[in-house]
Amino acid sequence: MTNKKIQSGNVILHIVMFFLSLIWLYPYAWLFLASVKPSAEIYTRFLPTRFTLEHFRFILESAERMNRPFIRAFFISLFVSVTVTVCVIITSAIISFALSKYRFKARDGIFNFIIFQMVFPGFMFTIPLYILMRNMHLLNSLAALIVPFIMSGWGIFMMTQSFRGTPNDYIEAAKMDGASDMFIIFRIMLPLNNSVMAIVGLFTFIGVWDNFMWPLIVIQDYYKMPLSVLLASFNHEYGAYIGPVMAGSVIQTLPMVLIFIIFRKAFLQGISMSLK
Amino acid sequence: MSKRIGLAKKEARKGFGISSIYLIYAAIFWGYPFVWLFILLFSKWRFVGSPQFVGFRNITRVLTDPLFWKTVTNVFRFMMYYIPLVLIGALLFAIALNKIKFGKTFVALSFLVANVSSGVAYSIMFSNLFSVNGPVNKALNSLFGITIPWFTSPQWAMFSIALIVIWKFIGYYGLILYAGLTAIPKSLYEAAELDGAGSLTKFFRITLPLLNPSIIMVLVLAITLAFGIFTEPYMITGGGPMRSTLTPMMHMITTAFQRMDPTYAATMAVFVAIISFGMIWVIRKTMEREVDLV
Repeated sequence: MTNKKIQSGNVILHIVMFFLSLIWLYPYAWLFLASVKPSAEIYTRFLPTRFTLEHFRFILESAERMNRPFIRAFFISLFVSVTVTVCVIITSAIISFALSKYRFKARDGIFNFIIFQMVFPGFMFTIPLYILMRNMHLLNSLAALIVPFIMSGWGIFMMTQSFRGTPNDYIEAAKMDGASDMFIIFRIMLPLNNSVMAIVGLFTFIGVWDNFMWPLIVIQDYYKMPLSVLLASFNHEYGAYIGPVMAGSVIQTLPMVLIFIIFRKAFLQGISMSLK
Repeated sequence: MSKRIGLAKKEARKGFGISSIYLIYAAIFWGYPFVWLFILLFSKWRFVGSPQFVGFRNITRVLTDPLFWKTVTNVFRFMMYYIPLVLIGALLFAIALNKIKFGKTFVALSFLVANVSSGVAYSIMFSNLFSVNGPVNKALNSLFGITIPWFTSPQWAMFSIALIVIWKFIGYYGLILYAGLTAIPKSLYEAAELDGAGSLTKFFRITLPLLNPSIIMVLVLAITLAFGIFTEPYMITGGGPMRSTLTPMMHMITTAFQRMDPTYAATMAVFVAIISFGMIWVIRKTMEREVDLV
């Protein structure tokens, strides 16, 4: 009898959880449908009566006339995010290799310093970092979005932790065959630790793509803005054009969702790894 | 023998050489701003000329600035809604996920995909969904005959912002708790059942205590998030209505770049960091327990 009770309870639990999952997906579905239905139906119907791409066309064409170059902003965002991600992976790999496989006096000191740095919240440094960018004459340029972020203490921390677990035998064997350090780092260490590489890359990419406050402060020129800031300013001034605003939001969301779906395994691992 | 010492020396030099790349980088992009932070803390400066030393004036100004403390209270109001709801929700989510057999991945991913929404885009999305005559209010109106001024009333606005942040983070926190749940050995529950423990006893005597590290982790993440919140209120309410959703970050940015007062803004940032550190410290001190899982 109790077995039956447990079973029916389990069925109800499944139904409830599936229902909740649909509720959690609903905003995305609504956003996507709103971007492809006629403006008049956005607030009145969930499913559109006809499919239209007019909002996307509006954003791509007349947005240029309104001084809001969306395509350009999309590629700026892509460029900045990819550059920072690649730089972070390369620098983290090289420095983590030194911190995990070379023996030298300051090693533990440097590693502890990196952990110490991670304690400080980023917002403490927003204004001083802005002053640094100003002194370097990098304000209002893409360099201000890239240069301060090409190395990441968190990335080094994660990779060092992971590299430590890789047996030294692999490295010794490669050295016997006359492999250079760079070869060992990029052809042996990174492939052996590809899950941590995926985690660092994924979180860095999403963090940069989604960053809003920093580019809002350092970029004033519409033609240098990443998508997040451009979309915000478009929404601010032309919020009445609901359809195009929705289309812009879809463009801003889509890459993150796609990357999430592709790397979902790394993402799940990353969450449980951040516990350690 | 001497060759070996020579190799070790070479290795040490190389290792330090490579690591010093990071040290140089940190000196420029972390050390230099850190020094500036101290200069800003004790001076008066408006982006031009050289900073003038004013002693503790910035600090006393923060202490007596009602608007700053209003923003801090706003963060606490946000946490009052956010932390209990998101913690209980994430806990229920983790327990349910642990019991589900079919479609586990689908459920986990549907909750997690909310977490990768872009801050700007999801703020726009929700400000339309929850607008006065938006779909949510339409549904509420036809079901219960009520409409709620989600983002337009000072009483509701912060709660509504907490709701959408909960939507975004419940899956993320839930998975952290879920990882903690799966680490609890099944044998503990079996032993408790043999002793005749009910499910409530098992939850309060086994699950909750052993989940302590994960719960603390979620609390720390939630507090850090609450003090740094910027995009949602900036995009949706602009700090209003009646400054009920003005956060310290928004106040800091407007002070620094619209009122051209970076020294005061930096001082506020330090205060906010200290308050959030203090809260995390209190939480750790009062709630953290040593857990030994064999």
